[in-house]
Amino acid sequence: MKAYIDYKNVVPKTVIGLMIFLIVLVPVMTSNMATLSMIILSGVWAIAVMGFTLVLRTGQFSMGQAAFMAIGGYTSAVLTFKLSMPFWPSFFLAGIVSGVVALLIGSVVLRVGGTYFSIITLALCEIVRIVAQEWEPVTDGARGLMTSPPPTIALPGFEINFAASPVPYYYFMLVLVAVTSLVFRQIGRSRMGGTFFGIAANPTLAEHQGIRLMKYRVIAFTVAGVFTGFAGSFYAHFLSVISPVMLGLWQSIQIMMMSIVGGVGSLVAGPLIGALLLYAFGIYVSRLPVFNIQYLLFGTVVVLVVIILPKGTGLVDLWDRFWRKVVWREKEFEFEEVEE
Amino acid sequence: MPPAGIWIDGLIQSCIYMTMAFGMVLVFSILGILNWTHGQFYMLGAFVVYYGIAAAGMPLPVSMLISAVLIGGLGMLVEKFIIERLTGPGYGPLYVTVATLALIFFFEGASGMLFGALDKGLATVLPGVLDLGSFSVSYQKIAVIIFTLIVMVAMYVVLNFTKVGLAIRAAAQDPVAASLHGISVGQVSLIVMGIGCGLAAMAGGIMAPVYVINPFMGRTPMIMSLLAIIIGGIGSLTGAIVGSIILGFLNSVIAYRLSYISELVLFLLVIIILLVRPQGLFGASRK
Repeated sequence: MKAYIDYKNVVPKTVIGLMIFLIVLVPVMTSNMATLSMIILSGVWAIAVMGFTLVLRTGQFSMGQAAFMAIGGYTSAVLTFKLSMPFWPSFFLAGIVSGVVALLIGSVVLRVGGTYFSIITLALCEIVRIVAQEWEPVTDGARGLMTSPPPTIALPGFEINFAASPVPYYYFMLVLVAVTSLVFRQIGRSRMGGTFFGIAANPTLAEHQGIRLMKYRVIAFTVAGVFTGFAGSFYAHFLSVISPVMLGLWQSIQIMMMSIVGGVGSLVAGPLIGALLLYAFGIYVSRLPVFNIQYLLFGTVVVLVVIILPKGTGLVDLWDRFWRKVVWREKEFEFEEVEE
Repeated sequence: MPPAGIWIDGLIQSCIYMTMAFGMVLVFSILGILNWTHGQFYMLGAFVVYYGIAAAGMPLPVSMLISAVLIGGLGMLVEKFIIERLTGPGYGPLYVTVATLALIFFFEGASGMLFGALDKGLATVLPGVLDLGSFSVSYQKIAVIIFTLIVMVAMYVVLNFTKVGLAIRAAAQDPVAASLHGISVGQVSLIVMGIGCGLAAMAGGIMAPVYVINPFMGRTPMIMSLLAIIIGGIGSLTGAIVGSIILGFLNSVIAYRLSYISELVLFLLVIIILLVRPQGLFGASRK
């Protein structure tokens, strides 16, 4: 038997590997604060978008994902600023609190599905914002809470100082995104991921097969909540402030758009592409001198992506198509006409 | 008791939400989608009326009709080129939601570029107040109430006593059966989208002399009329009216007593209604 290399599988993966390698090396190539913080923040959004996409897998779409970021951010901000706890326990508590809130809310709210669920999460998002704004003793109201950067980690030979430069944040974000991606990828490939698909595609059939819909919906919602909480905590500490207007309904909508533009077919690649491209695009157009043009271009791009891409597959599908159509020049399978 | 002015303000807000919610419910019952861009049609309608009065010097009713026609046409274009393409088989409801949400940014950015983001005020078109002893009402606010009554009566007549209304009701009840009886559901969708957006534009136009006009004025009325149709029951016209009245007074009379807690009350009310009775107060339960 002849050993052979499956080029069609290996070459794209090598390219992806090279890209990841380049992304890891970005701080070596540039120390430009703006570039670094752009990539860092799009990483944060990517985690939130992954959470949204996971919930979407079960057929529910949540318009309140930014609320979980706000809960995570406020948890760690309150713990570090008001109760002067160290950073790392607060960071993990932020994820846990956000996950517990998602579990409690999800187990009540997920019973009504579809549009109703979206509206309820929209209302929850607004409630979180109002509470953050009005609960003055804890959240300092509309002024927002100041957060401190993570403490300096002293290693033999050198030390990681979060206050001095964004580079440590960059690698922290990479680790966070990598962990989230691995977890979500495993979930997507496991039996549970298949179940998610099943209950989205046909809830009635799934229920009659003995799958408890609520259980899987709540699991997806809770996992999304935990990681979104981590992202929120990171966001608050990176920007060194968290205020009620930073994470509201419009940010939830932004998360939703990133997910759809990136593509909901994959749990990891789609959100990463969507968050990176839309966030970078938003930053780029906000530098244009024409007033308000960023809203116009943002809306146009999202509408065009949704309309033009076939069956709304999102940008992630283009990668696959690029290799199949442009590089390998594969032909679609067609029935051959019988010639007389 | 809050002063009478607060009650009247509540009534005005109810009227505006009612006109908008009516359009949203119509669109929902035919197309099966929530049109998230509805508030931006309200905003564009206000701008058309502003320029109609301030630049072209037309009277208010004429410029309101013009804005209804223009914005209704715009809504039809949106239906034709965006919504229709995204509601075919294979697309979930999510794609059309995201497209209409993106249109919010599109229209806000476009009107910000065209008209500027500064607040614009229109000089009162109907000056003077009606003195009612202990309090007084400006004619402008009375005009809002009369306008809403006219719109409601007109919609009642159109829906119940015309052929188009019959087609709309039939298509809302069962699109397949309606198309079997020779009703073009595609055309009905276009008409309904035009009517809904035209209503929103007229609501914006009648409010233009009362509030300030800016590109972001559509967000709050959109969310509020959305919540109104949810409280009343998605797809129910009666529900939209009752929900708007509840919301209008909640936003003014209860806000007078409780300030920000009224917002919390509003959202909690929505959540509780959806949990206990997802079809809303007036919606028929359906599977």
